[in-house]
Amino acid sequence: MIKIKSRKEYFELSRVRRRIVLIVMLALFTILFAQAIKLAAFEKDKLQKESRQRQHRELDLIPYRGKILDRNGALLAESTPVYTIIADAAIVNFKNKDSIIQAKLNGQKKKLATLLKLSTKDLDKRIKNKKRRSIRLRKDIAPDIKVKIMELKISGISSNKIYKRFYPENDPVAHVVGFTGGDGKGQEGIEFLMNTVLTGEKGKKINLIDNKYTNGKRTPRVVGEFQSITLPKDGKDIKLTIDLRLQNEAYNALKKAVEKHEALSGSAVLLDAKTGEVLAMTNYPSFNPNGYNKVGPFIKNRAVTDVFEPGSTMKPISFAVALEKNIVTPNTSIDTGKSPYSYQGKFIRDTHPHGVITAKEVIKVSSNIGSAKISEKISSNNLAAMYKKFGYGKKTGINFPGEVSGFMRNYTRWKKIDHSRASFGYGLNSTLIQTAQAYTVFANAGKLKPITLIKGDNPKISKRVLSPKTTKTMLAILESVTDDGGTATKAKVYGYRVAGKTGTTKKLENGIYSTDKYIGSFVGLGPVSNPRFVMAIMIDEPLGKKGYTGGTLAGPVFSRVMAKAFEWYSLDADGLELEIQNEKEAYADKTKL
Amino acid sequence: MKLNLILFIVLIICALTTVNFKHLTRSNFAKLDEENKKTLELKDQQTMLRIEESSESRIEIIEKVAKQKLNMYIPSLKEKKVIIR
Repeated sequence: MIKIKSRKEYFELSRVRRRIVLIVMLALFTILFAQAIKLAAFEKDKLQKESRQRQHRELDLIPYRGKILDRNGALLAESTPVYTIIADAAIVNFKNKDSIIQAKLNGQKKKLATLLKLSTKDLDKRIKNKKRRSIRLRKDIAPDIKVKIMELKISGISSNKIYKRFYPENDPVAHVVGFTGGDGKGQEGIEFLMNTVLTGEKGKKINLIDNKYTNGKRTPRVVGEFQSITLPKDGKDIKLTIDLRLQNEAYNALKKAVEKHEALSGSAVLLDAKTGEVLAMTNYPSFNPNGYNKVGPFIKNRAVTDVFEPGSTMKPISFAVALEKNIVTPNTSIDTGKSPYSYQGKFIRDTHPHGVITAKEVIKVSSNIGSAKISEKISSNNLAAMYKKFGYGKKTGINFPGEVSGFMRNYTRWKKIDHSRASFGYGLNSTLIQTAQAYTVFANAGKLKPITLIKGDNPKISKRVLSPKTTKTMLAILESVTDDGGTATKAKVYGYRVAGKTGTTKKLENGIYSTDKYIGSFVGLGPVSNPRFVMAIMIDEPLGKKGYTGGTLAGPVFSRVMAKAFEWYSLDADGLELEIQNEKEAYADKTKL
Repeated sequence: MKLNLILFIVLIICALTTVNFKHLTRSNFAKLDEENKKTLELKDQQTMLRIEESSESRIEIIEKVAKQKLNMYIPSLKEKKVIIR
């Protein structure tokens, strides 16, 4: 033991100690200070983020996806709340030693299983593994069922709300509206095209949480309601130009025609000739957008994605060029002969020999030979330029996902036979919607109408394609096609004057025209006195037992849909006076599907 | 000394005011959150009602009701009478 002799010696010793302590403290402070500077200056962001993560819980507030409506406000697509029922197997317990409690638990289990549409055995099986903390018992549960499940108050059973897209109109509008995927993003149709507008913006809510641990695992609880909140911005509603009534009518008529003729498929497009709005666009077979098997060949909107050779529906366009250039008049005689017409080493045939007929009758009886002979007098340059002006070979501007432009070879590469064949719609292809748009020229005094599917889209200016005089003449000729002796008598509408042109095309298979596979089409408009609607219909590969021509296949579809369109849009019956002189029943028989 | 006392009182007042405002903010936020929840619930209800309305107002259903309950039907061509002005 050290013996201190004097007071001075005591303090001397103390001073040494004091200095050591001081140095140690200074060193500690220096370290602390350095660490503080390090944390505050260099690790600030990282630490703040970590702190937020520990104290705050960010919750995304999902915006409501916008609705899709038809032109009259009818619902086509809507997001509905559905629930997923989740079980925490570690907590859910349906066993108890007490017989009274056990009976109650059995009752709860049975009720839960019934509401989940499961057997009690299946339910037991699913929650058997006690290590699984989040078992999805059933998804897409309706809100009322979820309430009943939650009222059972079973520990470990919870629900999770999600919004699921619901399409109340099912198949008829499926190709236009499209559908969303599991992630809620649009996959097809308008859902895909307008995804950004429909989605809106997510909101955010931040809750205060604690740092609770259960069984060694961090199980934070919300201890404060929130720190801040950013409200979600709901997606905007999209109003389409589609008229649901006409869409359903077109779908049902098309379905009936496809089934009656045992065809592969059919498509129809109905346009408002005055505004260019698409009133109906449908395909059969279709699919149910609410179902799960949204794959397969019928998922595409074939009216805009599939091309076919337009056939005789091109004849009025070729003929209009000849009229416009004063090459022929409606009464010019054309000798279509009594046998196939040999041209450039190839034969051009008519279904029936017509002999010498007038130019307007070439359209009425749909003579290929007559059309070829008229087109011989038109230069390829003029013919191709007019086809382009009518919209062939380029997209319509409807901006629908998957739309194709069709194909038209450059006229400089046309051989003489190509020129001839083009005049009656072979050697080039187009979509059904292109064909419908082309005929807006005849309905709009010679102007091609830009078409739209979304209500409120900025109107575009129509382009002049034909003179009003030529259009008037063409309308009269097209009207004759639906008169007796024409190819489209089945397209007539009681009380109204309608015009149009049929098309019957042989299908091209591996570069060779099939002898027994056809595409029948019809493009028409009405009422002729003041055309309001243009409709194009295409039926693909009918079995042929009950006819295969465009007039037989598509004419009745046109008649049925147009009759409803005229009625629902209260259009004056411009052909009534003429009709009442005729037998009313005759129409009923002829236009029957 | 007097100034210190005044500053101390001001300090106390500021502190109390801060606490009070923080409390008010929280309770207002809580109300806002509640209202948001209610809005969402009402929106969900509106959605369900809209779907119900759309399914009940389908043309086929209206036609069915018109036929069965009101004995209405679409007249045939024979039954139609035309008035020409």
